[in-house]
Amino acid sequence: MRTLRVDWPACKGRGVCAEVLPELIALDEWGYPIVGGPVPDDLRDLAVEAVAACPHAALRLLTARA
Amino acid sequence: MTSVVSAHPPAEVVVDHGPRLLASIGDTMKLATHRELWSDPRLSRVATGQLIEWARAVGIAGRGGAGFPFATKLAAAVKAAGLVRRPVIVVNAAEGEPASAKDFALALTVPHRVLDGAAATAYSLRCNEIHVVVPRDRPLVGEALRAAIAERRDAGERLSWKVTETGPGFVAGQARAVIEALSGRPGLPTTAWQPEAVSGLRGRPTLLSNAETWAQVGALVTLGPEAYAGLGADAEPGTTLLSLSGLPGLAPGTVRVVEVPYGTQWSEVLGDAVSRPVLVGGFHGTWAPGGALASMRVSRVAMGAMGAMGLTLGAGVAVLLPDGECPVAVTAAITAYLASESAGRCGPCFNGLPVLAAEVSALAGCDVGASYTRIRDLLGLVERRGACAHPDGTARLVRSMVTVFEDEVVAHLGGVCRIAEDGLRARIGEGMATGLAGVGVRAGVGAEPRAEACGEARAETGVGRP
Repeated sequence: MRTLRVDWPACKGRGVCAEVLPELIALDEWGYPIVGGPVPDDLRDLAVEAVAACPHAALRLLTARA
Repeated sequence: MTSVVSAHPPAEVVVDHGPRLLASIGDTMKLATHRELWSDPRLSRVATGQLIEWARAVGIAGRGGAGFPFATKLAAAVKAAGLVRRPVIVVNAAEGEPASAKDFALALTVPHRVLDGAAATAYSLRCNEIHVVVPRDRPLVGEALRAAIAERRDAGERLSWKVTETGPGFVAGQARAVIEALSGRPGLPTTAWQPEAVSGLRGRPTLLSNAETWAQVGALVTLGPEAYAGLGADAEPGTTLLSLSGLPGLAPGTVRVVEVPYGTQWSEVLGDAVSRPVLVGGFHGTWAPGGALASMRVSRVAMGAMGAMGLTLGAGVAVLLPDGECPVAVTAAITAYLASESAGRCGPCFNGLPVLAAEVSALAGCDVGASYTRIRDLLGLVERRGACAHPDGTARLVRSMVTVFEDEVVAHLGGVCRIAEDGLRARIGEGMATGLAGVGVRAGVGAEPRAEACGEARAETGVGRP
């Protein structure tokens, strides 16, 4: 299972991740991502896209710790 | 009426004699006298495996706030270390929490106990590099530790000690912030992708622990696990330092540092004041309702009575709510201080904490616009959304306030601060006796005297830094 993790100091709230992966990422009232739960297999490709699309490289896809 | 909430280090620190770490305060500032009581860690060289086993047996938990088991950290560092990846040791005495003074107390009374623990571990791990991090806004700490290190060098200790100043600021002592400062960058929290014990300073396994933790490790190495367990409870051996503020007879701005064995009754520690609400664990801590601690013992164990109420000792700070002060107003003051101490790096903390503080202030001031739902929502928006635990700690404080002082919160939402109202009544009573002098001024003439009275408590608590 994979999870998305935000590098909070790096994140500047550009919101690209929420555009690419609205199924898992919402934005709070200040524009910062709210990541919902682990990444299901069918969303894995989109999650990779979201990570790649972040202009501040502030999103990472991690293998969830058991 | 003065509050115990201050944004600055304590104006005065009173250190009591204790059963172990603070047993010889005043006598063992100097290395020579210290060595008469405590042997050189070079002589009691402990194998790393044994040290891990001992630390696990007596359950040394980190004293910086998170309470992470030292044995686990040490084992991780040993595993990550290699011939060209020697571990680094960091003694964290940065103590950014205004209500805490235990690291200050250790540095000024028994500095060699702290340094012995780090030295013993360095010998055991065969590493040479030890960093000592001291707070810029408590200059005496650095002075004392530098002097102690100089003595050790003169005595022929061949470890590479390096003292670095950090802060000021509440989050300056956070592990990653300390590593940033040691790396020559601004001492601000960063995202930890790996534990410091695996990859910390310059990517090396870094054993970063609080000054008291090192002093405990020093005691363990010198005494061995059996003697170490001679103090404390069966399930929880050893002692802990506590920083107490708001005790009766203690001037505002004074913190009393005591050392107690685990399992000591809180009523023994706090006396009659145990009947008052206590903020346990410092500004990132949890409120214990008045009298709740009366039947409890000092403990860090999650399964214990304190743990069951969500009361975690953290860095060992206990702040008593002064008589006649509104817990909501005090919480609002602390929240405002914590919001001002956000390092400003992570969006949810930078944006969320000031809004949260404003909402809690509105509640404390019995504002018409105060919203319980909004506070709950904001808590959810800041928790677990930062590089360090600052937003989480702040949320924990506010969450415990709304849980523990539910009645007060409900009264405030209804526009009434009962404590301010009682105080007002008492003051009017006094005024009657003394011819009503000054009552109009104190209560605020005209509308909403209750809100005014509560706001006044907030103003006096010295929110924020100048």
